[in-house]
Order: sequence, then C-alpha cells, then structure tokens
Amino acid sequence: MKALQWQGVNKLSVGTVPDPELRNPGDVIVKVTRTVTCGSDLHLIGGYIPFMEKGDVLGHEFLGEVVEVGPDVRNHRVGDRVVVSSFISCGNCWYCDQKLYSLCDNGNTNPVITETLWGQAPGGCFGYSHAMGGNAGSHAEYIRVPFADVGAFTVPEGVSDERALFASDSAATGWMGADLGGVKPGDVVAVWGAGAVGQMAARAAVLLGADRVIVIDRLDNRLRQVEQHIGAETINYESTDVAGELRERSGGRGPDVCIEAVGMEAHAPGPQFGYDQIKQQLRLQTDRPIAVREAIHACRKGGSVFVLGVYAGFVDKFPLGALMNKGLTVRGAQMHGQRYIPMLLDRMAKGEVTTEHLATHVMPLDQAPEGYRMFKDKKDDCVRAVFVP
Amino acid sequence: MSRTGKALLIVVPLAAGAAVAVKRRRAGTPVSRRNHVVTVYRPLSELESAPLPGTLKEIADETEISMRPAPGDRGTEIAVHIPEGSNVSDGDVRRALRETRSLLEAGDVLLPSGPPATETTALNRPLQAATRHGREGGLL
Repeated sequence: MKALQWQGVNKLSVGTVPDPELRNPGDVIVKVTRTVTCGSDLHLIGGYIPFMEKGDVLGHEFLGEVVEVGPDVRNHRVGDRVVVSSFISCGNCWYCDQKLYSLCDNGNTNPVITETLWGQAPGGCFGYSHAMGGNAGSHAEYIRVPFADVGAFTVPEGVSDERALFASDSAATGWMGADLGGVKPGDVVAVWGAGAVGQMAARAAVLLGADRVIVIDRLDNRLRQVEQHIGAETINYESTDVAGELRERSGGRGPDVCIEAVGMEAHAPGPQFGYDQIKQQLRLQTDRPIAVREAIHACRKGGSVFVLGVYAGFVDKFPLGALMNKGLTVRGAQMHGQRYIPMLLDRMAKGEVTTEHLATHVMPLDQAPEGYRMFKDKKDDCVRAVFVP
Repeated sequence: MSRTGKALLIVVPLAAGAAVAVKRRRAGTPVSRRNHVVTVYRPLSELESAPLPGTLKEIADETEISMRPAPGDRGTEIAVHIPEGSNVSDGDVRRALRETRSLLEAGDVLLPSGPPATETTALNRPLQAATRHGREGGLL
C-alpha cells in the first residue's frame, strides 16, 4: 500500500509499504479516508524527537472505514465509519479507569525509552516514533488499530468526514486543556497558539462558560479564524504586549486559566527566541518553552496553567519562582481522546463544535511531502493539510 | 538542521542504546538486584484464586514472587525477587511483569505493528537494538 514515510531529518517521501495485519484479537484494520498533519509531527520530521527509523509511517489524526475485524472486537463491524483516538489505550488498567487514557499501562509495546527519560511510560500513539510504541501511522491507505473497542468510535450519520476527522486528536486535545485546566463559568481564559488545538481549546472554554476567551498568535489568518469560527478574542503577539494586554482585559488580575498550545518549537519576538533557539540547536535544552514561560508569568495568582503543546525533555529558565510564589497549578498531558471523543461527536452533530475551516488544504496522499512543507512554512495560509489516500 | 544538530541526532540514540546495553549487562550482577514491582488493577483475591498467567509463570520456579493489596483500591502489588544463583535476569522479570499485568488487565499483550516498513541504517541500529528489548529495559 501507499504511505508517507520519514526518510531522515526533514526528508519525507511517499512509498510502498506492506499492508498492515491484525496482530491481536482486539485489532481492526481501517481503510483511511482522511488523515491530517499535526504540529507535533514537525518535531519528529525535524529530528527534535530522535526516536524515528528510516521508513516509519507518520500520522496520528485520522478517520476511515473498518475493513477487517479481529475475533475479540465487539463494538465494530466491517463497513463502520470510525474516528480513532490518536493514543492507544487498553481501557482496563487503573489509568484508563481514571479516564487518563494517554497514560495507559498496556498501550505502549516499547516502554524502555520513555520510562528511562521520564520515570514512567505513557501509552502508545500512532505514527509518533518508537518512543511511543513504533506504531505505523495513518498517512497510509490502511492502518491497524489495536484495542479497537476502546479507541475507535463510530461517527454519527449527521457528522461529515471533514468535521469528524478532528475529533481524533485536535478537538479532544483542546477540550482536555480547558476541562482539566479547570475552566468555569465566568473565567477569563488565555490560549497560546491559534493552530487547530489552540482553536479547539478556545472553543471548549467558550462552551464551558468562560466569560472571556483570548487567543494569542502571530499569524493573522489564524487569528481571523478564531474570531470568525471560534467566537473568541485575539492578540497578535508581534504587535501587542501580551502580558499588559491580558492584564488589561482581565481587570488587572491576569487570566484564571492559561492554556499553552504551542509546544517545543515556539517562536517569539526579541532576544528570548534567539537564546532558546541556540540552546535547542546545540542540544543544551531539548525544547523552547517560550509560551509556557509567558503563560506562567501572565496567569493570575492561584490560577491554572495547562500545557497542551508537546515537549520532549528539558528546558532552561523555567519560572519556578513565579509558579511557587503565585500558587499556580500547572498540569499537562497527552490527550485522553477516549474520554472526550463521544461527547465531541455529539457536539459536532449539534453544530457546537465545527472544524471544517481548519482543513485549509486538502490533497491526495501522493502530495503529502508538499503538504507538510506548506504546513511547516505556513505557506498559502495553511492551517492544516488533510490527505485523502 | 545544523551539522551539530545532525551529529547530536546520531549521538542521542547511540547514548540511549549504550545506556540500555550497560543496564542489560549490569542486570546480571548481584549488586543491582532489587525487587521488581508492578501494580495490577485486579483484586488480590482474584489473583490468588488461580496461577498467574503468562511469562511470569514461566520464571516462577527461579524467582520469589509475593503479592499484597495495593492501597487506595489500586489493585494488587506483585513483587519479584531474583535469588542468588538464579538464571533469570532483571530484563526477564521486567518483561514478565509487564506481560502478565497486561494479560490480567487487558486480556492480551499488545504486539508491535507489522509487518515493518522501516530499514536498518547505521543511524537507527542502536534504536532498533533498544526497541527489540522494549519491555525488558526501563526502570521497573
């Protein structure tokens, strides 16, 4: 079958790989009908997460049709249209029982790397390096989905492929940031990053009753999408003092909840960006935590900061003093998709969560390398490139 | 990416591979042997009612296995001690504990994707060496 493969740092190609097979009785094989780029893929492509092998298939946010079913699968049949959580979870361990699905004890076949790096291993993820299980990704014609009764969800008839696709990861991740960040009616919420995840976090905050939701980015096309489709306010950090503006818009208190949806390759005006860029390139730090620093500094006393952006290892100049003295709660997670996808599909059916505008570029899988170039360079106002295998 | 970055890209997986190799070598030395413990999200009464499944059963004769209830309704703690003279390695125990936990909780042990789409290169050889023993390493 055809698939998009990682061939080395910043080298992608579409090649032919073996068709996936059922390996466990709870697996299904899905014919991929839509699969989408994610900002976190850029960390893999650029070599910032050095656990890729030549030939690995990328992609973790997708939707498709079930074409083969393992003998233990109960919830799905051939022909089902399903959206699949990007994280692979067993549904039966203590973490899954607490609805912390991305922390599943049994979803990662290769816990050695993350356990050594981080102390404990999270669950596995599709197309996200051998640190996350080495699972083949979704930028392919077919994909094997383990624990399908737990991680694959039938899409209701009233929800289009174009909309449901983003329930797989972006919408679930964004909702988690607002939910576990503790957004309540009356809150002022600030979101760093107006990509798909940031927009979905902002939409979640609106729907959870926040009084004001403010999204921060430097790209005008994304900020326009926020205003038109999400119903939130915006700040362009290249032309505005973010901290001052947030203080002013929150009565001098600072936002109650700050959601960071940027990740390890953050940009910023001024010398801070140069400092972090040099340290990251020299591998003196693995991540550029610019948005996290700003969120911690801006957050109101006793407020909450949720880190949705993907980070791999160690950062420099982390504002521990602000965190401690302001009594902040800082939390983060990979996404617990199984917890949110059914609710999101309901909200998508009602029109409360819409995502079609995020798919600014739709193209055949053959053009995926060009799609990633456009996505990475933000060419032609690309927010997300969707591939149709 | 800069030349330095590319060089480090090679060095980091090599270092990870080397660390795993050193750990595996040290696994045979008595000084590193402490109990390996997992918590399984099943009640102690259930685990005591039948022989433990999977690879843990296979190494039971050469190890000392004990169980006790985990606090806070978190299930059962299974601890494995490797006695002097045993032929079982720390890696064998880690793999057995992980596989047995998965069998008890999920009813199955997840297999990696396949068939593989990747090629072996000089760059990824250490990573492949580490992942071939993915359930044997780590901190368990």
